[in-house]
Amino acid sequence: MVNLNNRQELPDAPVMHIVDGKAVEPRDYNWLERFVRFLLRPFVEAWHHRDLIAAILRRELRERFSGSMAGWVWAVVAPLISLVTYTLVFGGSSTLPNKTQSSSSIDYALFIFGGLVAFNFFTEMAYRAPSLLHEYAHYIKQTMFPAEMLPIISTLRATTYASIGLALMLVCQLAFTGTLHWTVLLLPLWFIPFLMFLIGITWLLSAMGAFTRDTAYLMMTIAPVLMFATPVFFSHETLGPTWYLLMYANVLTGFIETIRDLVVFGKIPAGLVIAWTMFISLFFFWFGYWFFRRQQDAIADVI
Amino acid sequence: MSSDTEVVIRARHLAKAYKLYDSPKDWVKQQVLGSEKNPYYKSFWALKDISFEVQRGKSLGIIGRNGCGKSTLLQIVCGMTKPTKGEIWVKGRVAPVLALGATFDLEATGRENVLIGGAVLGLKRQEILRKFESITDFAGIGAFMDQPLKLYSVGMRMRLAFAICAHIDAEILIVDEALAVGDLAFQKKCVDWIDNFRRTGTLLFVSHSTGELSRLCESAMWIDNGRVREAGSVADVARAYRRATFVEKDNMKRFSAV
Repeated sequence: MVNLNNRQELPDAPVMHIVDGKAVEPRDYNWLERFVRFLLRPFVEAWHHRDLIAAILRRELRERFSGSMAGWVWAVVAPLISLVTYTLVFGGSSTLPNKTQSSSSIDYALFIFGGLVAFNFFTEMAYRAPSLLHEYAHYIKQTMFPAEMLPIISTLRATTYASIGLALMLVCQLAFTGTLHWTVLLLPLWFIPFLMFLIGITWLLSAMGAFTRDTAYLMMTIAPVLMFATPVFFSHETLGPTWYLLMYANVLTGFIETIRDLVVFGKIPAGLVIAWTMFISLFFFWFGYWFFRRQQDAIADVI
Repeated sequence: MSSDTEVVIRARHLAKAYKLYDSPKDWVKQQVLGSEKNPYYKSFWALKDISFEVQRGKSLGIIGRNGCGKSTLLQIVCGMTKPTKGEIWVKGRVAPVLALGATFDLEATGRENVLIGGAVLGLKRQEILRKFESITDFAGIGAFMDQPLKLYSVGMRMRLAFAICAHIDAEILIVDEALAVGDLAFQKKCVDWIDNFRRTGTLLFVSHSTGELSRLCESAMWIDNGRVREAGSVADVARAYRRATFVEKDNMKRFSAV
């Protein structure tokens, strides 16, 4: 039994103060402070809820494999088989889709596989996001649950699979060519913006999905089309100049090009590509967060 | 201001409107074209005008018919939903004993649910692990702790849920008709625990049983159709409420007033 008698007066007891639907801040902030607080807020909140994030993430990962005997083996075997298939099918080709000479028989497979790792990461989020809040409706309705953490949790969950794919890529390259490009050390610099982009997309789609099921159908309709509008199996560099630029309107292109440059070609991506992907990541991250926060009160009521 | 009379919950003219959309199309229209003045939704006012204060260590009972706004009010005090108009001020950690067990993940074991449930209520992992034995003892469901929740009876789920709520060291306890499911022995255990809690903590208690109210609360409030109809001592409010129940028929149109 909890001992209630020697409880201390808590000077830092949390205070909730809401007037006419708006939380009252302890003092007035000017626009710059408000802007900085908004930018920092997702990180502050995620840190504050880190134990909750870890608890749900742990549970979700266990659930994914709880009914299977081989468990984690499946998560490794599936991408391994596709990598082997690409190597067998495309292994004889000496020219890569972007018209450069391949330096080993696995380059072609890695070229495609790298695109798929990024693309599959995106589609996993895009498919799940619209129904994400419905999955956790009982928490959102019945408890003081920080719903804005769910997109972070589900992106982190998908990260584990993307990491397995990425690790396989590196292991295969090492096995076939005996070396890795030094640029793979820069992969975290690719991964973190990509994560921010995906979290932002998930904030956006999950908030929309809470109100209308059309979001889910929309994603199911456009994701397969998007696969061919994204340079996964080909390279946009072989297209004419108009199409070339148009490909960058597809937000995934830059991320896919970057992972190929770092792992397969061992070069630093063009400065403009880096700037563009960075802009996309940061824009979607904070726009998604802003949109989610704007809808959050309504979400708890409609879901 | 001495700590005895310090107000920990203050509500002034609280009102809550739920936005009802006829179709998802209207939601999209509202996002793109709509405004507060020219909305594409209908407002349903679950709460119209509620004002009250609760001081530290006091307990307030809330009574009223189904759909009168009790649960919405408790959700606002917990911070689960925001009021549309009016002011709410709450100081201290809140333990919501609402819809006990409704938040459990049925595929997960009792142990996993304690870890997640505790984290949702704001406990650190270390705190939960430290209190784990005590939670297991309180729930009294023995070896079922390592079974998935889908194998639990409704009463066992409720026991586990209450056990978690009892361990979060809250300053404000909010209880919503929660105790009806457990067996008599467990009900007594919960009521004893609440009694013990009341010595230092603040209690908001919703019940349809005027007997429970007079046992656990010092004052009471009767909510009718989103407004405070009567407030004062438990005995007075309970008497007025009982009398009204005899006079006023169960109005079938009560829920259709949008």
